[in-house]
Order: sequence, then C-alpha cells, then structure tokens
Amino acid sequence: MFRYLLRRLPAALVVLLAASLAIFFLLRLSSGDPAATLAGPDASDETVAAIRGSLGLDEPLFTQYLIWLRGVVTGDLGTSYILHAPIAQLIGESLGNTVLLAAGALLLAVLGGGVLGYLMGTVRNRTVQNVLGALTSLGVAVPTYVTGVLLILVFAVTYRVLPSGGVGPGLSDFEIGVQYLLMPAVALSLPTGATLARFLAASLRHTLDQDFVQTGIAKGLRRRRLMTAHVVPNALPPVTTVLGIQIGQLLGGAIIVETIFAWPGIGQLLLQAVTGRDYLLTQDLLLIAVAVFIVVQIVTDVIDAAIDPRIRLERA
Amino acid sequence: MNGLLRGFRSPEARIGLAVVVVVLGAGLLAPLLAPHSPYAQTSGTFLPPSATHWLGTDEYGRDLFSRVLYGIRQDLLVGAVAVPIGAVAGTVLGLLSTVWGWLDTVIQRLFDVTLAFTSLVMGVTVAAVIGPGLPAVLITVGLVNVPLFGRLTRNAVKSLQTRDYVTAARIVGVRPVRLLFRHLLPNALDALVVQAALSLSLAVFIEGAMSFVGIGVRPPEPSLGSLLRTSITFLDRSPLYALAPMVVVTALVLAFNLIGDGLTKGLLRR
Repeated sequence: MFRYLLRRLPAALVVLLAASLAIFFLLRLSSGDPAATLAGPDASDETVAAIRGSLGLDEPLFTQYLIWLRGVVTGDLGTSYILHAPIAQLIGESLGNTVLLAAGALLLAVLGGGVLGYLMGTVRNRTVQNVLGALTSLGVAVPTYVTGVLLILVFAVTYRVLPSGGVGPGLSDFEIGVQYLLMPAVALSLPTGATLARFLAASLRHTLDQDFVQTGIAKGLRRRRLMTAHVVPNALPPVTTVLGIQIGQLLGGAIIVETIFAWPGIGQLLLQAVTGRDYLLTQDLLLIAVAVFIVVQIVTDVIDAAIDPRIRLERA
Repeated sequence: MNGLLRGFRSPEARIGLAVVVVVLGAGLLAPLLAPHSPYAQTSGTFLPPSATHWLGTDEYGRDLFSRVLYGIRQDLLVGAVAVPIGAVAGTVLGLLSTVWGWLDTVIQRLFDVTLAFTSLVMGVTVAAVIGPGLPAVLITVGLVNVPLFGRLTRNAVKSLQTRDYVTAARIVGVRPVRLLFRHLLPNALDALVVQAALSLSLAVFIEGAMSFVGIGVRPPEPSLGSLLRTSITFLDRSPLYALAPMVVVTALVLAFNLIGDGLTKGLLRR
C-alpha cells in the first residue's frame, strides 16, 4: 500500500512543479509590471521603485519564483493588493464556504447517483432502463449554469420558497443554513451524480455477467448476500476512479455555482483576483486548485489499489 | 468505418444531427434571419414577445431573438476553429509519443499537467494570462482538447501495434512513418470521431461557462453565456431573457452528446 503510494508520488510531484512553473512564468511574463499596477497611474518613478523593492520584484525572475514557492510551502502566501488583506486569511474565509458547498453536493451526488446507478444496473425492465438512462443523460449534459438559473427561476422567483443567493447563517443555524445551501448544492451535484450513476450501472452490468456470479447463484447464495459480498465490491473500483475525477472537477463547477448564487467561496475569490489583475492572489489560488486536483487523483488511486490488489501489484 | 456509418444512422445521432444543423444553421445565417441588428437600441426595454420582437427586448431595448441568433455564432467559431486545432495538435502529439519511448514520457507528463487544469480552471488561467475575451475562450477550448485527443490516439495506436497486420506490414519493410499514417491512424480514427462529437459539446459548455462567469465573451457582444450572465439580474422582470439562451445552449450540448452516444453504439454493435 505504502509502497504503491511511494511509486505514484514522484510523477505527481513533477506534474505539480511543472504546473507551478507554468502558472508563475505565464502570469508574470504577461501581466506587465505589478509594481506599476499597484502604485496606480499617477505614481512617481520613486514610488514604483520603492514598491518594486518591497515586493522583491528587483530580484531575478527565477529567484522570485523560488521565493514564491518557499512562501507557499511555509504558508506565507503574501498580501492581496486588491482586497488589502493577507491571502492566507482571505482563503481561510472562503475555503469553508466552498468546502460546505462541495460537501453538500458530493453527499447528494453519492446518495442520488448510488441509488439511481444501482437501479439502472440491476433492474432489467426496459421502461425503467430507458427512463433512468434519459434522466442521467440529461444530468450529465445540462450545464450547471442552466440548472442553477432554472432552480432560481422556479424556487426563488416564481414560488419564493428558497433564497436566491448568499450563504445565510451557514451551519450555525442549521434549518436556515440548509435552505441557502440546497439549490447551489443540487445544481453542483447533478453532473457528478448522473456521471456516477451511469458508471455504477455499467460496472454492475459488467460484473453481473461474470462467471463467479453464476457460481454464486448455483451454490445457492441469497441475492442480498451475492450483491453485497460479491457483486458490489467487484463493481466499485472503476466507480471510485470516476468519483475521484469528478471531485477533482468540483472546483470548476463551484466557480460557476458560486457566481450564480453569490456564494462567497474560493471560486468567487479566484474570479475577483483575475478580473482585478491581482497576480499574487491568482497565482496562489491557481496553484491550490491544481494541487487539490493532483492530490485527489493520488488518493483515488491509493483507494483503488487498496480495494483491488491487481492494481497494487502491477509492475511492482 | 462501417461502425461509424451505422452510428450516424442511429436514432440518437439523427436527432442530435438535426438539432445541431438547425441551431448552427440559424447562427450561420444570422445576418439573413435576424429581424433586427443585435446591437440596435430602442426605447422599448423589456418588451414582451410580439410580432416584431419574437422573444421581446432586453434592458437596452435590443431584439432578444436577434441577439440569441448572433450569440450562436461565437460557439460556431469555437467549434469550427478551436476544437479542430486542439484535436489535430493532440493527435499529432499522441502519434509522436508512440514512436519514441523517451518522448512518450515527456508528452505524457505534459498531458498530466494540462489535465490538472480542469476545463474551467484552465479558462481562468488563460484569462489571467491574456485577459478575458473570445480569444481566451478559443485558446482554452484548444488546450483542453489536446490531452483528450492525445491520450486517445496514443492508447488506440499502442493497442493496434500488437496486431498481426501491423507486424506483417513491418516485416515486409513498411517505413515507421508510413506505417503510422497508412495503417495505424486510420484504424484509430473511430474513437477520435466519437471524441470530436464530445469535444464539440464540451466547447459549447466552456464558452457558456467562461462568458457566464465573466472571463469569456463580454457584453455588449452577444454569446449564449454572456446573454445568460446579463439576464440573471432581470430574472423577475423577464424570465424569457434567461430561458432563451438556456434552451439553445442545452440543446447544443445535448445534441452533440447524443451524436457521441449514437456513434459509440454503432461502433460497439459489430
């Protein structure tokens, strides 16, 4: 297990380093002189030079990259110049909201996708198959920004039963907090849940066709025991892989959903950083986004390896 | 190619193709079909649908139907320019990585890096580097497609390389480059055509998403995403403002997915 992790780690680190290089140099080479932007159009040359010195922008570019990287690793992310606050603090404030949103969406997606996928994979009724197939096709394809706006139109504009945006009191007042969370979480969960359902169904069908299932039936296993002890565990590995990819993509979806529902999370912060040309905040957030994706991939791979020894022992 | 033909004749693909032809055709012919200029402002703001304004007007009194028609053209551009460029670049890189082992390692790591920027994160990155706008959308869609086509081509070719006919071709002395383009690539093409349909769906999604969050096509320029972005401020006054681009963008994304599904079915039913 640990050996498997060690084998996967170097490539992931290389990818992460390459991504950090790309983020830093592309942003720096394109964004002009950050000190001039920071000082404003009327600033004297001395002011600009002073700012440049204080930000370490006099150093060679590669030295600046190393300083930035050291800061990120030690948790010193610098200061945002459009929001005039330490970046670590800004991220701390919005991260909780995004995690709450993502966790809610994930819960709905796993529950809903799990039930629908199980039905789709095991019920051999043509009508059920077609209805569920069409529903999950829609769920996969309809963009989050369409479902989100549609939800607002129905539940906030027409029927006025749910708030159209904001986080509300969060989880401190559970009953009201959930009302604020419901629509954003549903919108974010739909593509993930539908994708999960489709993969679970396909994997279950494939597993049910295997010889060991026939053996199980032949030796008189009860259906419940056959499913829980043999079919589902064997059907899960490809599904967890897909789940990992989906979790890695949640941040992208969160950027959209947070925009629709005015949800003050990481996605909103990132958009503010980009439109306000705050290079340091942008760099930090992009690196975090990429790092999260890579870490989720590794965790998924390790979980897969734990479930399935064939993956763990391959080329070992 | 027989499987692909069968796929195109499947009900899913037929419906998808019909929708795509109608919607993209309407966008292509927008200058002829649109009853008004998409930019012409009038004093009649938020007019309800009527004979002169089929979908009513927006907050500047512009004709919404005309704006939606012109909005489709942005997706036409993204689909016709960015997707093919990304697809060809990816396919070439995928082919190259099957030839030399060391190059394979380099290219695969490059794909890993590109894939770590999931579609919208890539969009934000590109917008941060070159600034928000249609060029950012085009570059994002191109970049996102490179590893998709690259991985697919590489894996398809690798699995074909062990086939007897490839060994036979190699034994009779077919040069590696000719082998790649005459014998391996044509047989890997099926999967790439399916991916092209899915990539077009993704392209429409990305244009909508980037413009919707404010880093893609920007008002007053109409696009399906930018129309939807502006419309959400006026949801209680004019739901149709939001519904029109929503219906079109969903129809396009769904139609391309249906084509992809139909083709996959045709290929599997050998």
